[in-house]
Amino acid sequence: MGTVINIAPITRIEGHAKIAIHLDDQGNVRDTFLHIQSLRGFEKFVEGRPAEEIPRIVTRICGICPWMHHLAANKAVDAAFGVTPPPAGHLLREICQLFAHITDKILHFFFLAAPDFILGPDADYSVRNVMGIVKAEPELAARVVKMRQLGQMMLERLAGKAIHPVAGVVGGFSRPMLEAERQELLRDAETLLDFSCYALDFAKDTVFTRYKDVISELGAITTGFLGTVDRDDGSLRLYDGRQRLMKADSSCIDFEGDRYADHIGEHVEPWSYGKMPYAKSWQEGFSLDPAAPAGIYRSNTLARINVCEKISTPKAQAELEEFRGVFGRPAQQTLLYHYTRLIELIYVCERAVELLQREDVTDTRIRAAAEPRAGRGVGIVEAPRGTLIHDYTTDSNGCITKANLIVGTTHNIGPMNMSVRRAATSLIKGGVYDAGLLNKVEMAVRAYDP
Amino acid sequence: MGFEPKIIAFCCNWCSYAAADLAGTARMQYPHNVRIIRVMCSGMVHPELVLDALSHGADGVIVLGCHLGECHYQDGNRKALARSEVITELLEDFGYETERYEISWLSSSEPDRLVKAFTGITERVRKMGPVNARDLAG
Amino acid sequence: MAVRTVLEWLNSCSGCEIAILNIGEALVPLLTRHLELVHAPILMDHKYLGQRGDGTEFNIPEAEVGLVSGGVATVEHLQVLLQMREKCRILIALGTCATHGGIPALMNGQDRKEGWEGVFQTRTTDPGCSVPDVEVPAPLDRVYACDEKVEIDLFLPGCPPNPALIAEVLMAVVEDRDPVLPHKSVCDTCPVIREGKGAVSVVRRFLVNAEFLAEDPIDRMRCLLEQGFMCMGPVTAAGCAGGGLPRCIAARVPCRGCFGPVRRDGNQMLDMMNALASNGSDFKSVVDRRSLLRFSGAHGGLRPLRRKSAAERG
Ligand code: SF4
Ligand code: SF4
Ligand code: SF4
Ligand code: FES
Repeated sequence: MGTVINIAPITRIEGHAKIAIHLDDQGNVRDTFLHIQSLRGFEKFVEGRPAEEIPRIVTRICGICPWMHHLAANKAVDAAFGVTPPPAGHLLREICQLFAHITDKILHFFFLAAPDFILGPDADYSVRNVMGIVKAEPELAARVVKMRQLGQMMLERLAGKAIHPVAGVVGGFSRPMLEAERQELLRDAETLLDFSCYALDFAKDTVFTRYKDVISELGAITTGFLGTVDRDDGSLRLYDGRQRLMKADSSCIDFEGDRYADHIGEHVEPWSYGKMPYAKSWQEGFSLDPAAPAGIYRSNTLARINVCEKISTPKAQAELEEFRGVFGRPAQQTLLYHYTRLIELIYVCERAVELLQREDVTDTRIRAAAEPRAGRGVGIVEAPRGTLIHDYTTDSNGCITKANLIVGTTHNIGPMNMSVRRAATSLIKGGVYDAGLLNKVEMAVRAYDP
Repeated sequence: MGFEPKIIAFCCNWCSYAAADLAGTARMQYPHNVRIIRVMCSGMVHPELVLDALSHGADGVIVLGCHLGECHYQDGNRKALARSEVITELLEDFGYETERYEISWLSSSEPDRLVKAFTGITERVRKMGPVNARDLAG
Repeated sequence: MAVRTVLEWLNSCSGCEIAILNIGEALVPLLTRHLELVHAPILMDHKYLGQRGDGTEFNIPEAEVGLVSGGVATVEHLQVLLQMREKCRILIALGTCATHGGIPALMNGQDRKEGWEGVFQTRTTDPGCSVPDVEVPAPLDRVYACDEKVEIDLFLPGCPPNPALIAEVLMAVVEDRDPVLPHKSVCDTCPVIREGKGAVSVVRRFLVNAEFLAEDPIDRMRCLLEQGFMCMGPVTAAGCAGGGLPRCIAARVPCRGCFGPVRRDGNQMLDMMNALASNGSDFKSVVDRRSLLRFSGAHGGLRPLRRKSAAERG
């Protein structure tokens, strides 16, 4: 009988999961599983609730990216009730989404992932964490904590509640932005833009060059990608656009969000509560075999950077060109998620500055009145962790009769399983392994920022 | 032995509790299932008290107050009536049959009405069975 | 000396943990000087079964204080919670999921079997999917608040809890004193204009914005409940008001009760309906009143609707 190595819980990620590595008699990897442990039933318990309340409920799917659920839900309810928010309503929502992306990326890169790089994958677990970074790099740490907090406070100032927000409402937004607030937020966004450029430079110097080998190998797999692009010019979009599904050979299918069910199916394995979305429209079925995957695509930063034609803001565009020059399109190396995350950080800061420079963001026409009705609406935004899909059907009283959610992270559950298998198989041989090696297996998961 | 329900009766001080007193002095019989809790006015009985009684083992709850218009605190019993609608409406939400609850009015000189009310709810709830029968049956 | 501390999350969304990080400036000294984290899955890599993943005994280190977020929904949550109780001298329930069930306890109002099956049979799942049951922790019969399973020393509700109050509680532990926590209702911390009762006959859904002038501060806006919207401020524990304003009201949006009931064992739905009825409002105009228990559905608050007996169905 072989043994089982349990990495439980997977740490420095958002959520509840464990890895089981099954070894054969020779101590080589026979099988690996990424078990998603939590089961909460959101799709079910929103049934019967008035649709306009849903954006305030589904936020609790994730406390790290509640804004994404909030906004996708708002868009879905808009569509179900057939109401179109005024332009400023959309702008305010998008600005909040950008702020939320900013803090999320800082959190993920510096608080959760960076300890592996700054302190090293083999550092003892008791120091390989953000407290360790504070000790090793106090100035950097102080700056990071301050910048993340700034982003959260910007959200709070504009929208009252930063975690589990309430300011997005069916038909638009709940309060206008005042001119004084606009100027203040603009200044803060510029500060964050500076920081984001610094962050990428820092990472290029200390992480991506130093860990070249790890990056090119650890958990590397070959898959397709899913993201959102501008309807006209194919540039990177986060709040609204058209969905693009790219195959590993870089051929693409574009589709409108409400057709998502034609393209995406969900596979369920008995050993994980996490459903595994796959590209149904490729008609190749579903397989997690890293050597011959079927239907597998990835989402999140690497995917978005791969599927877009370009980025509409100059600094991020320059970084994109440099990145593509080195890694090609589509880039497949799993740890490049970190790199693309920081490119995207620059984009969201630039975009926030761009929107806050517009005078029409302070327009007081921010919400269109809604009437409950029977309908169906699909709302999609790009969450930090991937394309987030909310799909609601309502009855004539505007209450939910059916809901379907495909959460950003779940697109990557299949690929994470494959990356774990790849990482474990290449690292663990003849029963020889240590805590540092197991941490490297986890790093393959952390790249996806689940 | 058959099922003997526990009934909690909230009686206001001025009318219904006085009536219960009178029933006692007059040696009138009423079901021993009823436990009386004296309150100053029926308007003081918050819906939570009713729910608490049911969740702590009562099988039925009755609130008794002065006739409408005769409350000693002016409109306490009207408030009780409004709350009563809430209670009746919400009992199902918490998994109880509406028939386990009732509100009724009487004056201090009507012990016979009191006895009738007590007998009525006791008989009704006895037929319904214990409050947690559903849970026990799965 | 730094206080040994454990953080754990059960059926949680990690918003409580983000609230800890939102403490702001005080965060760095707190995490590095005042507290010594010995186990905290979101921030550090201590493992239940040893760092080599080959232990046989589930283990969380001993600590002076433990913060646990999330309700108890699976056998694994229960195992972690029991272990926390055993190892921590002071156990703090962090967030409304831990104190009252929170949003995930909405599941308590559903038929369990049908509900779980429904989650794995949606518009996009492959035909014939069923509820996973291999190497995943089995769900309990319902979602519990932590104090239904173990003794809790301190309750810090909020969804998420207020970072300022988290800091206060942690510093109180560090300084070995009682924390100063609010005990009133959200309305008691809300500066809007209240003109008295009676105005509201039916309760409106939040389908249009509240009435207010953009440049006016909140204390020039009329109470949202008096504007006719359902606002759960009267039946919700105070605490969210950072910088003086209840957070949703600051966004000009009505309160939905995320800090749980004012008295710990209160019932928000009952209290709200009672308040409406006592003020002469038509409480039946509230659409989906069970939603008023959306944050406090543990402790038996939300249950599947009673199936009518054969006799009742007639
Ligand atoms: S209380 Fe709220 S923030 Fe905390 S875990 Fe529960 S849902 Fe998340
Ligand atoms: S009901 Fe709402 S708006 Fe009115 S005082 Fe209370 S919290 Fe404030
Ligand atoms: S106003 Fe109510 S719902 Fe909003 S944060 Fe405060 S307690 Fe929670
Ligand atoms: S005093 Fe009897 S009902 Fe008010």
